[in-house]
Amino acid sequence: MSGNAAKADPITVEIVRNGVLSVTEEMKTNLMRTAYNMIIYEALDFTVGLFTATGETVSIGLGLPMFIRGMSETVKAKLAKIGPENMQPGDILITNDSYTTGSHLNHVTLSLPIFHEGKLIAFTCCMAHWLDIGGSIGQVTTDIYSEGLQIPIMKLQRAGVLNEDLVDLIKMNVRLPDTAWGDLRAQITAVTSGERAFRSIVNRYGCDDVLNSIAAIMDQTEAEARANTRTIPDGVYEAESFMDDDGLDIGTHIPIKVKVTVAGDEMTIDLSEVSHQVRGFYNSGITTGFACAQVAYKCLTTGTTYPVNDGSFRSLNVIMPPGRVISATRPAPMRWWMTFPMTVIDTIFKALAPAIPDRVIAGHHADLVTTTLHGINPLDGRFFIAAVGPLGGGWGAKSTEDGVGVTVCINDGDTHNSPSEQIETKYPILVEKYELRQDSGGAGRHRGGLGAECVVQALAPIAFNSTIERVHCKPWGLDGGLAGDGNLIDVRVNGEWRGKLPNAKMFTERIRPGDAFMVRSGGGGGFGAPVERPADQVVFDVVEGYVSAESAERDYGVILDASGKKLDVGATQARRQTLVKSKAAE
Amino acid sequence: MDNLTAGHLRIAVDIGGTFTDLAAFDEAGRKISFGKALSTHHHLVEGIESTVKGAGVSFKDARLFLHGSTIAINTLLERTGADTALLITQGFRDIYEIGRINRPDAYNLFFKKHDPLVRRSSRYEVKERLRADGNVHRELDESDVEQLADDLLARGIEAVAILLLHSYRNPAHELRVKEIIQKKLPKAFVTASHELTQEYREFERASTVAANAYIGPRVEKYLGEIETYLKKLDFPGTFYAVQSNGGLFPVSDARVECVRILESGPAAGVIGTQAICAELGLSDAIAFDMGGTTAKAGVIYNGKPLTSSSALIGGYDRALPIQVPMMDIFEVGTGGGSIARLVEGNALRVGPQSAGSQPGPACYGQGGQNPTVTDANLLLGRLDPAHFLGGQMKLDVAAAEKVMQEKIAGPLGISVTQAAEGIVRIAATAMSYAVKGVTTERGLDAGAFSMVVYGGAGPLHASAIARELGIRRVLVPSSPGHFSAYGMLFSDLRYDYVRSCFERLATVSFDRIEALYQEMEERGRAAIAKSAIEPDSIVISRAADMRYVGQEHAVTVDLENAIFDRADRAAIKSAFDAVHLQRYGTSAPNEPSDLVSLRITVAGLMSKPPREKLPMSGEKPPDEALLAPRKVCFSAQAGFVDTPIYLRDKLQAGNRIHGPALIEEHASTTTLMPDDLLVVDAFGNLDISVGGGK
Repeated sequence: MSGNAAKADPITVEIVRNGVLSVTEEMKTNLMRTAYNMIIYEALDFTVGLFTATGETVSIGLGLPMFIRGMSETVKAKLAKIGPENMQPGDILITNDSYTTGSHLNHVTLSLPIFHEGKLIAFTCCMAHWLDIGGSIGQVTTDIYSEGLQIPIMKLQRAGVLNEDLVDLIKMNVRLPDTAWGDLRAQITAVTSGERAFRSIVNRYGCDDVLNSIAAIMDQTEAEARANTRTIPDGVYEAESFMDDDGLDIGTHIPIKVKVTVAGDEMTIDLSEVSHQVRGFYNSGITTGFACAQVAYKCLTTGTTYPVNDGSFRSLNVIMPPGRVISATRPAPMRWWMTFPMTVIDTIFKALAPAIPDRVIAGHHADLVTTTLHGINPLDGRFFIAAVGPLGGGWGAKSTEDGVGVTVCINDGDTHNSPSEQIETKYPILVEKYELRQDSGGAGRHRGGLGAECVVQALAPIAFNSTIERVHCKPWGLDGGLAGDGNLIDVRVNGEWRGKLPNAKMFTERIRPGDAFMVRSGGGGGFGAPVERPADQVVFDVVEGYVSAESAERDYGVILDASGKKLDVGATQARRQTLVKSKAAE
Repeated sequence: MDNLTAGHLRIAVDIGGTFTDLAAFDEAGRKISFGKALSTHHHLVEGIESTVKGAGVSFKDARLFLHGSTIAINTLLERTGADTALLITQGFRDIYEIGRINRPDAYNLFFKKHDPLVRRSSRYEVKERLRADGNVHRELDESDVEQLADDLLARGIEAVAILLLHSYRNPAHELRVKEIIQKKLPKAFVTASHELTQEYREFERASTVAANAYIGPRVEKYLGEIETYLKKLDFPGTFYAVQSNGGLFPVSDARVECVRILESGPAAGVIGTQAICAELGLSDAIAFDMGGTTAKAGVIYNGKPLTSSSALIGGYDRALPIQVPMMDIFEVGTGGGSIARLVEGNALRVGPQSAGSQPGPACYGQGGQNPTVTDANLLLGRLDPAHFLGGQMKLDVAAAEKVMQEKIAGPLGISVTQAAEGIVRIAATAMSYAVKGVTTERGLDAGAFSMVVYGGAGPLHASAIARELGIRRVLVPSSPGHFSAYGMLFSDLRYDYVRSCFERLATVSFDRIEALYQEMEERGRAAIAKSAIEPDSIVISRAADMRYVGQEHAVTVDLENAIFDRADRAAIKSAFDAVHLQRYGTSAPNEPSDLVSLRITVAGLMSKPPREKLPMSGEKPPDEALLAPRKVCFSAQAGFVDTPIYLRDKLQAGNRIHGPALIEEHASTTTLMPDDLLVVDAFGNLDISVGGGK
């Protein structure tokens, strides 16, 4: 059953728009507050949504932007496999199939079909990141089978009756069965509370009017996307970048190349020249390939329009052949699916920079900057897996303002870091510092945001894992702005930092009590030539410690007087002239 | 200590953004009087002076002065606080700026973060470190703190906030640092995080203590001015401030824990609602307050207001968290001034942009070019153009009609009436989400509640909002525009304490729990004993934040004192299971649970103004209550209908009015929809049965 936008009245449309937003808000609240693992409840690594009877996105709550397609495609796959005629009230469908969700097996995805007078009218859906899904840990996997339990599309609950056999099977295949079971219950709460909330809207305003209004909401969003695409000059825009490596062939960069064509009110994003799928676990499925293009397109055309719905994407064509690193096919390993797509999105912004410099953003740190630890917790003698991070990093500057410092990457939205007081209470570690990285933001007329540095000391033997990317391809500047610093890790043994690591990846590195690991997130790229930055702003940055006096002089041509707090006007003038001349000589 | 001979008046003053409201309870004459004046932002004391004069009361006769003010919240939001330094454990100088790193506006490349109240160069590191269990990992370097204090002194820092990691487990280092700083900077406002909150989460604690320091000097000065003013007027009584949890505390406490009075006005409204519930024997009610730019909802559940252990101040995206107990209030950006506009695709939006008071709605005739919710009400006949604010302000119908036609009705191809009626309906649904925010999202069924409505614009929309939620009973108290001041008259002395306590319920020692509760209780009793007023009685309420083992987020479970006398683990567990079930629709009675924090509320109960009933009159309102009828639109389909208009001041207890009708009073109009039934109850409340007139 689907709606007819032409029959909707504008008042009810707006009422229903507010209504569907509140449905997904309520789902989010319930999931977050009842989940068992810190990645859900503290980092908010999950996505909830409401979908049409055919699987189109009506509203996605705050969650992972990169999962903007994952749930819709999962609902569609469930419709294709099971068939709407075989669904009934009280059913809940489950899967974590990587090649359907486009992501890793940890993303267990539940969908609940909603019926009205016997007809299927919508789905609520909830993806949440499970802390463990089995498989090997502490190494780079090379196929999906080593990554854990695969749950095909099946019914977790049939007409209100839970499939206990399936729950038993799941529990036996994961390392933290109690946590998994707790999270699964929280997800059931989320989809059922969403159903209840949506049904109350349908009961209040009438099913037809609600479905017609939903169709109209999507049309309105489409109109906005088209209007904002029309203001982009027609043309073909290209850009490239690269990833450090796939974790196995260290030093072999992985090319990212995008081509964007704008014609009238439509945009085509061609991702066929993104690298082929790789041996290590940085692949993602085709759903995520589409999501890369859609996230970039939404940011540029309907960035602050809610609810997030599929009307946004009707004016976007995506060319995404299978077999690329963001459209990988079975049995490609997918565990670290989220990292490469972020750089693809940034590269799309980079391509469009000449066309719409005032609407794009310079490169960002583009990584979750999360590390994981595992070991035996001396507090209770039990096995633990802990995430330290996401740390947040620098975002790129724009033509009108500085980049934002230490904020979560574009893969994530309402994701939080973990309080040090909390992780120290739970795990045998001590956070020595969590602070801003001076000079990590790319210099520019508008400066890139700063990255962060975190040093964590082991209080018991732990195993340390890092899958961090973008050490070598630094977050680029735009329009003459300089690049920010890349991401970085290091390990301290007996008081000595190891240094000179080829990348930021490390697997099952044993760290002893007193030793430590360090993680640094990159800064954002700058925008515009640094010499054009007003000198008083540079002085402010130096006084506050965001920029060193050395960088102020070297990159911005700004020199402070002996007090270290005031501008030396004469010296600055001279230095800036020299910089401008040498730039011209280039 | 109780100075009963001093006076017989209890004077409450609430300073809001626009108005300063007064409610005074005469303990001798057993009557309540009100006063209202425009707030005087340059000199807030003046507003108090004019309301006192207006109400015809005198501080000379007062025993108690109860006060709530926007001074604290405005200092925070308008960034007019002190030059503040934050002292923080080495390695963590930037956590206040880093925050929680989230990006709720996830597709907006121009997103912004919270803006710290203390700049980076004023954040100093302290050489010390505690471990999670409270043991010392690194001793405090006191000489370093001394040097740092010299620097603060040289810089002329006015306020100092101290946040050391794990101070909720062991406050020794924070206490010592505070001592050193206070000695070196005797004039500075110095505050340490553990004094305000003993819960883990360093960013939230940092934000709380920084806010306290930042607003401290200004709030302290303001309260001092009032004290001087009261002294000048020979006020013989005691001065209490209203906290964000709705409780009172002596002004001496308010001067050091300023962050506790951030939301005093809204909290007092919820206390007023609680008083009305007590009056009418209601156990559950929603407290709904609508003003010019926002609508707020709080909850009375089982006779008690729901509170929250923290709040985000300044909107979710850029919020500064404040981790002290507050009334659980949900706010949406819909008010009388909310602007209706069309966006791409002819999609209609109402708010959150507001026309404010300048230029205000188009009908104010001050140049406003955008149709607002107030304009829509005027065009529907629900507001009287000649008698707005008691006739102080004439409304311009033609101006409202012009912008409504040009901006909304014309482009959508609908009539001005349809547009206006639609805007009012959209506003009502948007506001119903404020109510859902404190009910549905807490596992409560809004439809089972009554709704007490106040604030200037609330009664105009209450019936429509109630319909959205399935609420069947709406109460409009007398003087809805003075409701916060009125509520303060019903406040009790209140001290809340919390201690983090990570323990398995199954194995925790009751001796340890009892020791923590006892310590908190003694603090509370001591604080009340210090107060000049002796309360009627002291009530201790215990609660615990609990979760299932493995969960993080905890829920607060009220626990009867008797449970602890019996050391009854099973009763604690089943109380927790029940709360979890009510809130989230699931519980796991077989799963083990954790204690996370222990909470206690020590309340000193004050005698309440009386609940005296008015003599009942007949069902028919007196003739002098009836004004000339007006054409009013209640639904676009039915169009305009002749509608009787009543003057609230002339209505008498027992009067019954069938909808449609409008009941007008100074600064507020109550809409009675066609199938509603209104009864003026014995306390003067308008008691509306929504849809009950059929």
